[in-house]
Amino acid sequence: MKRAIPAVISAAAALTLVLAGCGGGDEPVDPNAPVTITLAGWSLASTPEFKTLADGFKATHPNVTVELKEYAPGNDYDTQMITDLAAGTAPDVYVMKNLRNFYTYQSGGQLLDVSDVTSGLGSVPALASYQVDGKAYAVPYRQDSWVLFYNKDLFAKAKVTPPDGSWTWDDYTDATKRLHTGLKGVGSKATGAYQHTFQSTVQGFALAQTPGADLLSGDFGYLKPYYERSLDLQAAGAQPTFGTAKTNKLTYQAQFGKQQAALLPMGTWYVATLLNQQKSGDADKFPWGIAPAPQFDKSTTGTSATPVTFGDPTGLGINPKISKSKTAAAKAFLQYAAGPDAGKALAGIGITPAQVTDAVTATLFGLDGVPQDELSKFAYTKHTIKPENPVSKHTAGLQNLLNETHSTILSNSKGVDAALAEAQTRAKNEVLNQ
Amino acid sequence: MATLPRTRPRNRRLVWRNTVAGWSFILPNFIGFAVLTLLPVAVLFYVAFTSWNVFGVAEWTGTANFQRMWGDASFWTALRNTVYYTAFHIPLTLAAALGLALLLNRKLRGVRFFRTVAFFPYVTSIVAIAIVWNQLFSPEYGPINALLRAVGVDDPPGWTTSSTWSMPAVIIVGTWRYMGYYMLLFLAGLQTIPAQLYEAAQTDGASAWQRFVHVTIPGLRHTTFFVTVLLTIESFKVFDLILLMTGGGPGQSTLVLSQYIYQKGFEENQFGYASAVSIVLFAICFGITVIQFMVNKRGNS
Amino acid sequence: MTATDLSMPPPAVAAPGDPGKPTRRGGFRGWRLLGYAALVLAAVGLLLPFYWMVVASLKTNNDVFTIPITWLPDPVVWRNYLDIWQRSDMTTWLRNTLLLSVVVTFLQVLTGSFAAYGFARVRFPGRNMLFLAYVGTIAVPWQSYMIPQFILMSKLQLSNTLWSIVALQAFGAFGVFLMKQFYETVPEELSESARVDGLSEFGIYRRIMLPLSRPALASLALLTFVTTWNDYLGPLIYLRSPELRTVQLGLNTFISQYNAEYALIMTGSVLSVLPVAVIFLLGQRHFIEGIATTGLKG
Repeated sequence: MKRAIPAVISAAAALTLVLAGCGGGDEPVDPNAPVTITLAGWSLASTPEFKTLADGFKATHPNVTVELKEYAPGNDYDTQMITDLAAGTAPDVYVMKNLRNFYTYQSGGQLLDVSDVTSGLGSVPALASYQVDGKAYAVPYRQDSWVLFYNKDLFAKAKVTPPDGSWTWDDYTDATKRLHTGLKGVGSKATGAYQHTFQSTVQGFALAQTPGADLLSGDFGYLKPYYERSLDLQAAGAQPTFGTAKTNKLTYQAQFGKQQAALLPMGTWYVATLLNQQKSGDADKFPWGIAPAPQFDKSTTGTSATPVTFGDPTGLGINPKISKSKTAAAKAFLQYAAGPDAGKALAGIGITPAQVTDAVTATLFGLDGVPQDELSKFAYTKHTIKPENPVSKHTAGLQNLLNETHSTILSNSKGVDAALAEAQTRAKNEVLNQ
Repeated sequence: MATLPRTRPRNRRLVWRNTVAGWSFILPNFIGFAVLTLLPVAVLFYVAFTSWNVFGVAEWTGTANFQRMWGDASFWTALRNTVYYTAFHIPLTLAAALGLALLLNRKLRGVRFFRTVAFFPYVTSIVAIAIVWNQLFSPEYGPINALLRAVGVDDPPGWTTSSTWSMPAVIIVGTWRYMGYYMLLFLAGLQTIPAQLYEAAQTDGASAWQRFVHVTIPGLRHTTFFVTVLLTIESFKVFDLILLMTGGGPGQSTLVLSQYIYQKGFEENQFGYASAVSIVLFAICFGITVIQFMVNKRGNS
Repeated sequence: MTATDLSMPPPAVAAPGDPGKPTRRGGFRGWRLLGYAALVLAAVGLLLPFYWMVVASLKTNNDVFTIPITWLPDPVVWRNYLDIWQRSDMTTWLRNTLLLSVVVTFLQVLTGSFAAYGFARVRFPGRNMLFLAYVGTIAVPWQSYMIPQFILMSKLQLSNTLWSIVALQAFGAFGVFLMKQFYETVPEELSESARVDGLSEFGIYRRIMLPLSRPALASLALLTFVTTWNDYLGPLIYLRSPELRTVQLGLNTFISQYNAEYALIMTGSVLSVLPVAVIFLLGQRHFIEGIATTGLKG
């Protein structure tokens, strides 16, 4: 027995009120007729990327207006979007913040097939993530990746050699401890590193870098060495403990921006935030740099190798309820957003687009305040980015479960082995059997 | 329910007249209630037996969701935590609210100010409350543990960062937040107790405690019943406070049913299953409420 | 010492404690002083988060969260209180919130107290079942049926209008339940004698019940007002257009994907608490000075 819930409700609604029939017929499609498509965004005042894309597109497609619809920030964006899509009141084009949400919308039939757009895009690395059964359902317009931010002043103060691209996680742990001792020695209250409370800060790296690691296998043994290092660092006092970061609601922007920590593993989006905060005075002015994320072992370290890191692309998709007369314009917009012109425009506001070309790198490193050293450029441009959330039915459930494991381990509520064993049992009994 | 004799036509007419009168009072509220609440709730009961993913099609799956729940360890953890929270939150809040109401119903200098202050936790943004209490509970740097260390507790609890102490911490904050709310209802209830009853009791030489037991408590019966029912339902449904304070953690130590419903529905897109869990939560609340109604009824007669 | 003063009619304005008069009981002043000390201590505990909000609103963003907590802003940043008016639509947000709270409160009190009379005083078949259905819906978590409800409201063309919030909040079961409980404390004989005098059911509601339930009406009004004022999830689900935002929703716009302006959020929160606090401070005599002074005989 199959029945659509909206149908049940509309039948009920029809009982309570008489609705005027609406819904237009298909209008003839004239490629030059003025069209307005709607695009979902959030916090428009402080998030300029949507306006940048809309304005940039208007320049080449003067007949198309991209109207921005403001949604709530954070997880509330998806709550609102799910509700709107369910009721058929969503905008024409909307953003998928990560691949976990992409699966929700794609499997729910809320994305139009845009294979014809992607065939014209060339080799954007993240395109593959949006393919299901040979068809593409979204295009990436941003691709952040995780790197290592470091404070050059604090390194000098502690007399520790700054990162040179050759670090494994053991080198990182070692350097963090030496920074801690060194900074303490000169009377500084800053810690060696700040590891934010996100589960990604441990699990993202572990999944991307460990050979053979597979989230969907339900075998989480690959997380163990990564957790042991984190526990080691917080026990040594070289970074604020998970409990302190949680209860004091520490923000990575303040910890790094106010020089409370010398090292910060974080995504490349933080470049734009840090630049803005240094300009506005919210963050101190100090020399900083970007290094590649520390690696699993020596095989991927050094500037002649390609370091492995992780990050989900941010994608744009089309609402299948879009009126036919607007589909072409929406597809053209997607093509633009994932392409090189939009990439350059986004780099101009400090954002890492889906395809990092030489022009993008030049634009971004031409911004006022961006570090100019070679290692920063290397870290920004060269890496293998693996998705944090493999697209699958089970990803959301497994990530929720692992988020609980994350707080269990880092709060010392359970030992690493016991917590991982429990996570594996739960994965088997509660998620993978569904 | 009143059993209505329907042997004589006069009675039948009375019943008819009362029904019309009753419904005409209820109708203005009922129309809005039926369309906007009852109808979606009815849909929810249907959804609980399907595999609805919120978009479009819902496939009828019979009792599959409920069978899954039976074997779902996380569901049982959430249920256990919810009961844990409720078992402490109800008596603590009830006692605190009643105590506050009695204290602030008196003639005191600045009592209006103190009443306002007692109501403040309910008015203050819940986000700020979660932040401040977390900082107060901070294991290494928080004032609460600093105090405990000062009085000689060598190994103070980790509060919201410890899977043993996170629930007590949340219960404390929950009570702190809601006692002003229920105090208000008790204050209103106290006003309905006729002053003459106290005067008469005083003339009979009743002590303060005797007056409390024999005048105040019976006089507040209707209010207490209302407060208890409401408090029970709200404790079982506790959501935003815990979400903001601990996010259900560490681990699953403060995961409650409402949050589990949200997680399964909005984050994992299994609205059918989430609805089934809601039905169970509803059934528990409703069962307890009906028992409370029955007990109250016996007390009335 | 709990119930000693209950028999006195509560004063309209807090009267001085007559410290000059000799008291009958020994140690009375000592107790009183101790009581005050306890109250002041409790008040500090209750106001602490509010105090923190005020302090946070006087800091710069990256100073809001520190280890350990800083209880005094240094330097004091007054600018936030200017910025919030200039950089956002705080006026619109406050206006929408006020409008919603007033309309919802009015409707909830009106329809709730009306329906409650039907439940409390008119006997008809099916009454108790219907009442259980009312109370039962309170027990259903909203987040589990909000999507069906949203779809319904969209079909009714109500979503993304302020009416949706009015419709959502105004017909709740809470008011019906609260008022019913209070009507039941009014002695049946009062309405019986009124019926004998020829008053209709509506007349009894209007002339006897409403005046006698003033404390309950006042608390219902206040609780509904505060709940609507602070509601976040309702407006989040139903409102999209910037010009419809409420304060709680508006403060959200200070959060961007990778950063949040906590100082401004706290500034807004302080500003949104103040009107409610003033209403409570001024309005409380309506439910404290209730029918106890009108000499209702039990």
